[in-house]
Amino acid sequence: MTSMSTTTTAASGTATALAREFAAVLPETCVITDEVGLRSYECDGLTGFRQVPAVVVLPRDTEEVAACVRICARHRVPFVARGAGTGLSGGALPVVDGVVISLQKLRRILEIDVENRRAVLEPGVFNLDISRAAGPHGLYYAPDPSSQQVCTIGGNVAENSGGAHCLKYGFTTNHVLEMEVVLADGSVVTLGGPTAEQAGPDLRGVFLGSEGTLGICTKVTVRLLRKPEAVRTVLADFPSVEAAGETVGAIVDAAIVPAAVEMMDSLAMEAAEAAVGAGYTVESPSALIIELDGPAEECDEQFAEITRICEEHGSTRIHVADSADERARVWKGRKAAFAAVGRISPDYIVQDGVVPRTRLAEVLAQIATMGSEVGLRVANVFHAGDGNLHPLVLYSESAGEHDKAEDLSSRIAELCVELGGSLSGEHGIGADKACSMGRMFTDDDLAVMQRVRTGFDAAGLCNPGKIFPTPRLCGERPGPFRPHPLEEAGVISRL
Amino acid sequence: MSTTSLSPGSLVELRDAVRDTPGPVVATGAGTAADWGGAVAADATAVSVAGLSGVIAHNPGDMTVSVGAGTPLSDLQATLAESGQRVAFDAARVRRGATVGGLFATADAGPLALGFGSLRDLVIGVTVVLADGTVARSGGHVIKNVAGYDLAKLLHGAYGTFGIVAEVVLRLHPVSAATRTVALPVADLAALPAAGRAVTDTPVEAGALEVVDGRLLALLEGTEAGVDGRATRLVELLGGAAEVLSPADADAAWDAHRATVDRRPDDAAVLRVGVAPTRLGDLLTGLVDLGGSHVTAAPATGVATLSVPADPGVVETVHARVAALGGTSTLRAHPAGADVPAWGPTPTSAVVLRSVAAAFDPDQRLGRGRLAPWLPVPTGASA
Ligand SMILES: Cc1cc2nc3c(=O)[nH]c(=O)nc-3n(C[C@H](O)[C@H](O)[C@H](O)COP(=O)(O)OP(=O)(O)OC[C@H]3O[C@@H](n4cnc5c(N)ncnc54)[C@H](O)[C@@H]3O)c2cc1C
Repeated sequence: MTSMSTTTTAASGTATALAREFAAVLPETCVITDEVGLRSYECDGLTGFRQVPAVVVLPRDTEEVAACVRICARHRVPFVARGAGTGLSGGALPVVDGVVISLQKLRRILEIDVENRRAVLEPGVFNLDISRAAGPHGLYYAPDPSSQQVCTIGGNVAENSGGAHCLKYGFTTNHVLEMEVVLADGSVVTLGGPTAEQAGPDLRGVFLGSEGTLGICTKVTVRLLRKPEAVRTVLADFPSVEAAGETVGAIVDAAIVPAAVEMMDSLAMEAAEAAVGAGYTVESPSALIIELDGPAEECDEQFAEITRICEEHGSTRIHVADSADERARVWKGRKAAFAAVGRISPDYIVQDGVVPRTRLAEVLAQIATMGSEVGLRVANVFHAGDGNLHPLVLYSESAGEHDKAEDLSSRIAELCVELGGSLSGEHGIGADKACSMGRMFTDDDLAVMQRVRTGFDAAGLCNPGKIFPTPRLCGERPGPFRPHPLEEAGVISRL
Repeated sequence: MSTTSLSPGSLVELRDAVRDTPGPVVATGAGTAADWGGAVAADATAVSVAGLSGVIAHNPGDMTVSVGAGTPLSDLQATLAESGQRVAFDAARVRRGATVGGLFATADAGPLALGFGSLRDLVIGVTVVLADGTVARSGGHVIKNVAGYDLAKLLHGAYGTFGIVAEVVLRLHPVSAATRTVALPVADLAALPAAGRAVTDTPVEAGALEVVDGRLLALLEGTEAGVDGRATRLVELLGGAAEVLSPADADAAWDAHRATVDRRPDDAAVLRVGVAPTRLGDLLTGLVDLGGSHVTAAPATGVATLSVPADPGVVETVHARVAALGGTSTLRAHPAGADVPAWGPTPTSAVVLRSVAAAFDPDQRLGRGRLAPWLPVPTGASA
């Protein structure tokens, strides 16, 4: 692993020279070079990977971001953009002797355009604050990662983040119209436009989900939606994971597109219940949270049908959350489940693989078998509607189980690929899963993706070492997962 | 375009054709948008993808389908309908047999874009052949997937530059059980944004919202009882002359919309424009004063299609006015030989377009000329 507590003399020399140049374009307080200050940027939410950067800069507007990037370009020093650092794949992990460009000072909501249903944002705006600002106008921003209280829209753009309600409403890429981007040479371009109507290739869409490797986003225009008239939420217990999985299939077959369909197994419910007391049936092998929204008449009709489908598939308890408070309680348990797993296991690794929805039961059974073969428990709490798993591999670092857990986790991701799915549904590849990319893509596929990178950033200075497998990276072994500090504090949850 | 043309029948044959044909190459599908965008180099060899047609894999339970890029979308919709599914996409030229690859490469879209987005939102995987014969895939068969760059986005709207799309994976939606269309007269184009908001401010959730022939059409999709209730509510909320159209009238109204968007006039140029919804009314009013006609407009998305005299100065003015509002404009059907500009003023992003093109196709063999002058034809190359 790359954890370093000292910087070499040569590197500190470069750092001092760089810092001097940054100080010429930024106020002194916006250039961090002291050991303690730098250390708080050494990792993101994937805390097993750590690297202290040479310098951290905190530009305050696009021009300052561009000036910082130009300095990096002139010295051929790699740089990494950073939002809130909640990423779970090591995307914001600093590069050895590199610069971290934090966007935390670009945090203004520039405009809530009610008539056009748009919000214009600086990249450091927290996801939830968009909906807070739009709320009084009856509008909201749809993509809702569980970390939405603290993750930034810039990070969401870079990761193409999703959330529970993306089943119906789509991911970040479906909601971003236009972006201002500082390229790796410090020039500033606009990608996308004021409408989804495109003239020429969708460079906006190429940038979305590129994990900070194609430039730094300094301004984003997103679509806002009208809040749905009605919302209906049900919590349904099932006698087996298979029965819950089949229920999801039956809902799809009935041509219903729920706003969200989330699944939890008994281990996850046990943890969540212990943490927040959401009213889950701990003895139940599995449960679904199903939410519908839309015009009232349709919502009611489809809700009745969903209840019927759950009963048909042997649901042992159907609990309708019929008030806003009750709905919040059901969701709170779901969102807390992840951090709560810390109550039943000293350490855990989170996985983010995706399978075609029809293979849910199969993959869950295989994961259970794989777990018991190596003597590790796996808890499941995930986005069942779109097949995005989040298996939590439980282990004990002190009992020496780390390598076994890490190995199981990688094998689960690769199993998802084998079943026709993907290594990652929303957390990104970053430094974490770069070495598995060869399982999903051929050398040619990856080489063509590299051509995109070359086109945006010929010198390769923008967040190098992420997404693409490199011998250096793939020779290294990550340390154990540690929960994000905010997660431990219960402010955010992972799923 | 040269008279030579090749018709590969498989991915391998397509790769060989692209790699082994000297000089510029242009991919063709059903030819429904051959004259959209910039004119292709005169000596380009046409490589038809029509032979890469048909469903490769349809997974109804996962609501995904993979198809050859040469598959006519109307054929695909008919197949999917047997499973109660559809590609939630309704560009007007689908009725003329447009292929999935062609619709994708031209970033076309129809009224349903309001509710479902365009093909950039619906395509979840692609297989592409590059100028040097490299075959690459990105995305996959799952709706949720962030592994690697999304190459599909680069090819969406690329008009056959960068690479030739051979296969496409699409996400599907259920065919809605019932639909209703509510119509509301719109006095003039200036009133368009307000008319659109009158609908979008209600909770009924229109799946498409378009103005054509002096009327605003709101399409409601859902269950039988659901659309019935919503249509009644919408008429009440809009008041005045709003009405629910009979099924026959609704079909006729949407057919007329398609016909207007899909005009191929021999004396005019068709342009597609997009600006912030609130700017649409004034923009279109001004363009009608300039000789614009046959306007269809989506007040909630800000997208409109219109015909203007096929005069270089007029078309240039349209591009300039749209660009001044920060919007986008594209030349569509126009009389053969009319020398009208395809694209507006060069955007800042053209530097990226050019450097990515250099990495993908340094000699610019594929679709040469289609994105000019944003992507200029290399000096010394045939144009
Ligand atoms: C408890 C928990 C729950 C989570 N739940 C979800 C979830 O439900 N769904 C989900 O999708 N994710 C989830 N995540 C992951 C994470 O919150 C998202 O990936 C989020 O988008 C990261 O935002 P950030 O501001 O923290 O970005 P960072 O972690 O700071 O950066 C992430 C990546 O974005 C790049 N980046 C940041 N800002 C910019 C910019 N302005 N321009 C260019 N690149 C930039 C960085 O270089 C890095 O590669 C969760 C994380 C935690 C800790």
